[in-house]
This record gives sequence, structure tokens and C-alpha cells, in this order.
Amino acid sequence: MTGAAAVPDRIALRRRAARVVLLPWLLLTVALLGGVRVAARDRSLLFLPPPLITLVLAGLLMALFIRARLVRPGRWLSSRYTVLENASHAVTLAALFFASAQAFNSVLPEAGLLHWIFALFFLWTLWNDQFAPFDPLRLLRSVAVLFATAFALKHLLLAGLHGGGGGGWSRRLVSTLLEGVTLGTIDLPAFAPATGYLSFFTLGLYVGALALVRPDPESPPPDTRLLSAAGEREALEA
Amino acid sequence: MRSALVTVFGLVSSLAYAAGIIWLYTTQPRSLQEVRTGAQVAAGVYQVDEARFQAGLDLFRREQYRAARDEWLRADPARRDARIAYYVAYSYYREGWGRLHHDDALYKLGLEAVDRAMALSSGQALRVDDPDLGLNTAAELRAEMQQGIEKTWSDLSPLRVMDKRK
Repeated sequence: MTGAAAVPDRIALRRRAARVVLLPWLLLTVALLGGVRVAARDRSLLFLPPPLITLVLAGLLMALFIRARLVRPGRWLSSRYTVLENASHAVTLAALFFASAQAFNSVLPEAGLLHWIFALFFLWTLWNDQFAPFDPLRLLRSVAVLFATAFALKHLLLAGLHGGGGGGWSRRLVSTLLEGVTLGTIDLPAFAPATGYLSFFTLGLYVGALALVRPDPESPPPDTRLLSAAGEREALEA
Repeated sequence: MRSALVTVFGLVSSLAYAAGIIWLYTTQPRSLQEVRTGAQVAAGVYQVDEARFQAGLDLFRREQYRAARDEWLRADPARRDARIAYYVAYSYYREGWGRLHHDDALYKLGLEAVDRAMALSSGQALRVDDPDLGLNTAAELRAEMQQGIEKTWSDLSPLRVMDKRK
């Protein structure tokens, strides 16, 4: 085989490695870290399995991925692939589902009224999005913004409100905003600041992994499909 | 060929990773040390720290029961060793034994430990041949502590002061 012919082979091999090794590993890492919390009291690790509501939310998000053609199940699981490749793709899709569930788990308050307020917020947003026109790039941005908002609310605002004895800016701000409103039903377990860092890393990894997902496993790499500006992409497609 | 190998590697490693995640969420380790111990147990390479066990045994013979239990907990962090569980139960028995009354709370902890020892011995009769111990089988130790917890008229007998600690 000549050197010129070997180059495309190497590129194809790298793309396959990214698809069947890197992508599932990234998604599984999100599935692992999404439920990890560090207790404030003794810095012990807590592994919180995904609550049922996060599975429902992940189901809605998967439906959105399919509607927006970020993932085309018919292209991922197809008779044109071998059994081995289909099994590998099925594992990747399952990892995408559980990573989504754990990403929600990471930004949902663990208990109390706030848990249900956040869950309803996610449900409402995802349900509305089912009827909105999306392309993969817009969906990716929308998902990134959705998780960034929930992260800021949970790990910056609420953690500041409940953390420590002092009273940071968020505690003072929310106390002012909620003046006169009882906080009796807002009960959150106390977690160490490391939990917020873990969640940030997890969500970053999740969005990064989504950027690697392609509608068709054999389609060109994501830099020309998902990460380029919409105008450039349209020009490419034209 | 290489492409198929990459696919096989990706599939097998992903399934192994997923199994590891399920294991972590099932066993709920509370520290990285516990993760390591759990992984050793799962891999079948877990071993009790014999030096720590002996150190605990020395403390036990000097009637330093709490210190002995602490040492044994370090010797067997995964709590997988029937012999150590037996000694832990025995330490609760000896600490809880009294000439006039027994400490029920310690006896209950002892019963939990001896039950764990019996479960860990996988159905076989657990016997510890230690001349320092008056009760050499888990069944005897269990019966002794069970009897100690039960309230009977014989508890009021003055002859009870003649009982011996085993």
C-alpha cells in the first residue's frame, strides 16, 4: 500500500476510534460523575442514582435529539453495519441516554420543593422544544444554555444560599428578593464546594460529548457539521 | 482488521466501564479508600492485614476491647473475614459481660457481628481454636449472648454472681 493511500485509512481509523471508544467513554464519564456529591460534613463521597424524573427528562431530550436530527437512530442502527458495529452503536446511544439523565441529576436540587420546581422548569422547556424547529447546532446551543442556567441556579445561587454560616452575596440577594416568603419547605442537603466543581466538569464534558455526536456515524467530522457557524454550514451544504 | 479490533476494544471497554459505574452506585463507597478496597474484593485480590489483626488480638487479650475493634476494622475494612467478625463479636461479649448484669446494647452489637461471621463462613460451622476463648464456635457465642439479652427469673438469682465470663 502506498503512503498516500495509507493516510485516509489512518484518518478513518481515528474517526472510528473517536466514535466507538472516545464518545462512549465521555458519555459514561458523565453518567458516572453526574450523581457524585461530596458531603459538606465529612467530605465523604455520595453516589446518587438518577431519580425517575431525570429518566423522563432524558427521554424527552432524546426525542428532541431525534427530532432535531442530532441523532438519527435509523443511521446508527442499520443492517448496513455488522452485528458488532450495531452493538457498539447501541451502547453509545444507551450511554447518551444515561449521560443525559445524569446531567439532569447533576443540576437538579436533591430534595424538597426546589427539586420539583426545577423538574417542572425542565419539563416545560423540553416539552415546548418538541414543537420548535431545531437543527443540531441550535439544539446544541439550547441544551448548553439550559444546563448552564440550571447550574448557575443550583450551584451558585442556591449553594451560596445554603452554604456556610457567613452569608455571601447570593444569600443576601435571595433573602432580599424572598423577603416575607417562608423558606420552610426549601430544604437542601449541604454539599462541599467540590460538588459544584464536579458538576461544572460533568456538564462541560456532556456538552463536549454532544458536539462529537453526529446524525450518521459515517458522516463527516463534527467541526464542519456542529461547531461551525450556521452561515458557514449552509454554504458548505450548498 | 484494525478497524474491527478498535470496535471490539470500544465495545468491551465501554461495557466494562458501565459495569464499573453500576458497581459504584450499588456499593456506594464513601471514600477513594473504600473504592480501592471494594475493587480489590471484586477482583478477588483482597487480603486481611494480618499484622493489624495480631495487634488487635494483643489489645483484646489486654482487655482493650474498643481499641481492638478499631484495629480489626483497619485490618479488614471490607468486613469480609469471618474470623475477625467472630473476634469482634467476642469483644462485645466480654465488654458487655457483668457479674450482676449484662449490657444489652453491647450484646446486640455482638449478635450482629456473630451473625455476620456466620454469614461469611458460607454455611459451614465457624470454629476458632483459641485457648484464650471459652466459647470456640460461633453458635455457642451466639447462644450465650442471646441468653444474656433474654429477661428471665434466673436473672434475679443471687447465685448469678458465681457465673464465670467465658
